[in-house]
Amino acid sequence: MKFEAVIGLEIHAQLNSATKLFCDCPNRPGDEPNRNTCPICLWLPGALPQLSQEALEKATLACLALNCEIQPESAFDQKVYYYPDLPKGFQLSQHHKPIARNGWVDIVGEDGGIKRIRIHHIHMEEDVAKLIHEMEGKTPISLVDFNRAGTPLIEIVSEADMRNPYEAMEYVKTLRSQLRYTGSAECSLEQGTLRVDANISLRPWGTDELNTKVEVKNMNSIRNVGDAIAYEIVRQTNCLEKGETIVLHTRLWDPERCVTLPMRGKFSGPCIPDPSVPRIVVSRDWLKEMEGRLPEMPGQKMERFLKEHGLTPDEAANMSLERDLSEFFEAAVKQGLPPRKVANWMTTHLVPALRDRNHTIGETLLTAERFARLLSMLEKDIINAQAAKEVLLQLLSSEETPEEIVEKGHLRQVSDTAELEAVIDRIIAEHPSDVEDFRRGNAKVTGFLMGLAMKASQGKANPKLLKEILTKRLNSIP
Amino acid sequence: MESEIYTYKNTPPKSCANDGLLAGRKAVIQPNMSVHGWLCDAGSLALEGFIALEDATVAARMRNAGAELVGSSRMSELGLGLTGDTAARILASGEADIALVTDTMGEARVAAAGSGLFGFKPSFGTVSRFGLIGLVPSMECFGIFGKRLEDIIDTFSVIAGKDKNDPSMPDEASLDFSSTRKPLKTRCTAGLVKECLDILPERERKAFRKGLARLEEVGLTIREVNLPDFDLFRLVHHIVASVEASSSAGKYDGVRYGHRSSSGKNWNDMYLNSRGESFGSLIKTFLFQGAYFQFENYPAFENGCRNRRRLVRVVTDLLGQVDLLVFPTRRLEHDAERAATINQIYDAFLLTLPANVTGQPSLHVPSLAIDSGKDIGVQLIGSRLDDLRLLSVGLMLSSTAQGGK
Repeated sequence: MKFEAVIGLEIHAQLNSATKLFCDCPNRPGDEPNRNTCPICLWLPGALPQLSQEALEKATLACLALNCEIQPESAFDQKVYYYPDLPKGFQLSQHHKPIARNGWVDIVGEDGGIKRIRIHHIHMEEDVAKLIHEMEGKTPISLVDFNRAGTPLIEIVSEADMRNPYEAMEYVKTLRSQLRYTGSAECSLEQGTLRVDANISLRPWGTDELNTKVEVKNMNSIRNVGDAIAYEIVRQTNCLEKGETIVLHTRLWDPERCVTLPMRGKFSGPCIPDPSVPRIVVSRDWLKEMEGRLPEMPGQKMERFLKEHGLTPDEAANMSLERDLSEFFEAAVKQGLPPRKVANWMTTHLVPALRDRNHTIGETLLTAERFARLLSMLEKDIINAQAAKEVLLQLLSSEETPEEIVEKGHLRQVSDTAELEAVIDRIIAEHPSDVEDFRRGNAKVTGFLMGLAMKASQGKANPKLLKEILTKRLNSIP
Repeated sequence: MESEIYTYKNTPPKSCANDGLLAGRKAVIQPNMSVHGWLCDAGSLALEGFIALEDATVAARMRNAGAELVGSSRMSELGLGLTGDTAARILASGEADIALVTDTMGEARVAAAGSGLFGFKPSFGTVSRFGLIGLVPSMECFGIFGKRLEDIIDTFSVIAGKDKNDPSMPDEASLDFSSTRKPLKTRCTAGLVKECLDILPERERKAFRKGLARLEEVGLTIREVNLPDFDLFRLVHHIVASVEASSSAGKYDGVRYGHRSSSGKNWNDMYLNSRGESFGSLIKTFLFQGAYFQFENYPAFENGCRNRRRLVRVVTDLLGQVDLLVFPTRRLEHDAERAATINQIYDAFLLTLPANVTGQPSLHVPSLAIDSGKDIGVQLIGSRLDDLRLLSVGLMLSSTAQGGK
């Protein structure tokens, strides 16, 4: 029998508000352990939660960015379970009345068509503390770091609208891009600011059945999400083919061995309304203000880039994926450069360089203005592409102007015809047999000689001019 | 320092501002009200040795108004009931003029009834809960009891009012105290709830009727009203309060403070043993009952919440017909201080817990309804946030009450 996978994702995104959700402690889980704590997030006796306005605003923006309906009234519940990472003995979470419902994002499916993935709801909740298990001599000990306790999260619960790992990965990518645009969340799977749990079930192809699902956790990259789902589909298919029944449980993805393994059942308790956090009642004016704060979203921006800047769909998609890069792109274009040139340079040179350094554009010294000056030197044939690449890398960490770097590195392009002619003449003289080959009709020789000539000029020759001269000389040899 | 009646004795007491409203008045609190540097164990091993890091808003306001906090009285574990409670003894000894105790099901009023004092539970939301080491967040609040109603009114006026540290207080809960200390001008109708009267033994009913006669003497009109749902209050309180207690006592895990069991192979054992060794059997029973509703019978809890909303509506409707309700405070055969089981506790607080379910203000007026030397108590219950009218009526009665002693 052929099976179809039914996939839904539950995604936790950490909001980047300055403080925790219910107290004024800094929202910096990575600091020295237990530095960012107070009686409220340690939940010492007598404490009362105080909802952070900023966290609420950031959550609202995130929900709006995912096309959700903000609920006129939302409220927090106590999700009861007992674990040392949970200082209250319950987690404050919006179980009964979430902040937003009925959202969606559009993804590009495997066949290139647009597919809409619906979002069931988004709720706010507080994160738990971090447990560290160590050995003290021969005794195992557990330490608790409360820095993360009480930091704000939103949980985005999709409908089970995805059918294969590709769609799940695209959904995470799209959602991440939209969330980052709002400036509310960093959304790094690698750093744990975005956590994806996948619910996967199978059904006979062509039916509408909804079967018992298995939850898979612990994927810390988008690739892992795809791999874990793919593995789970195969595993469940094998089970069903052997006539086994699927039981509801949770599995952990093991990235080393590339398998999912069952985890000990986590006890999950009821949710009772919390009497201490006031209900959140959203006024029309406030909601309007929030909507006004929402930036242009990647989809709209892509459309605009197609129209205004004449980019191809691929280029427009690349240039609009991340807000910081899209703004950098537009700022560079404003300096009067051809948009497609800017886009191509960003995609082929700038983005890989940032990835190598593990930096965002804002973390480097490169500005759109400096980038534009570099590209305009290239446009004006002052430098060649090879030199421009070199200067670009230096601009990331240097405060010098592109012009200064070019002068210092003697990178200015040689466009002096006489100088280039001399180089060509020497190369031709030194390689008589290759010239002979050319005369017999082997056109490939041109490329080989070009390479030698460029090398001889230390990479500084104007390539267009150099090629012209070489062609002219070769053709003039009788 | 070991004392039979004090958990913490403030010796020597800090010198206080002597120009405030409470200047010269001494107050005893309970060790579930945070005072910086004081042992605040809420009467439980689960908070063994816990020294508060901050002042409860109530404590800070009282001190700023000149009150002297003489110490904290011994209290029943986590404030459930009155077993082992010593606040009344401290008042009787004259070491304090007023006592602040948490009123979760009527503790302040019933303790007052047992000692010939006034006892007042304010409307829910009028007094900050910041620094209260509570058990049932949606029902409990600081109750005040003492010999003179004026002391209670002054204390209430000092501790009431918005507090940025307690965002759960509703905006509309600000009261205007300027008119409190004057007698009421308009006539006032008190609704006598028939169902409350019916459950009293004959002799106590007679005594209570004498109390009602006193109300009429000062100008109140008594009208009999019906509250057929009266039995529901106990049930709703029991279900909702036990669930909230189970949830809010979940924090006592021995990880950050309090008693930690020395036995156990892993954290789960540590957790179970610490809690097992910390809690007394009464609170354990209550927490178990709450956990049952949470984990095994959630629909009953949802029903409880629905019925609670219904009771609020029913009582609000009644208070559209009369200005306040009048209940007895207690039944003499059900002694709160001797209650040894949860059922006995509920029996003892049957007549006071409705105000905790609905969040209404309630005042116990002493010495109006005495049977064989014991006070059954006249309990006035007002509309939510109508605390000041209730206190004004109390003042009208207070000369009679004190005269009757």
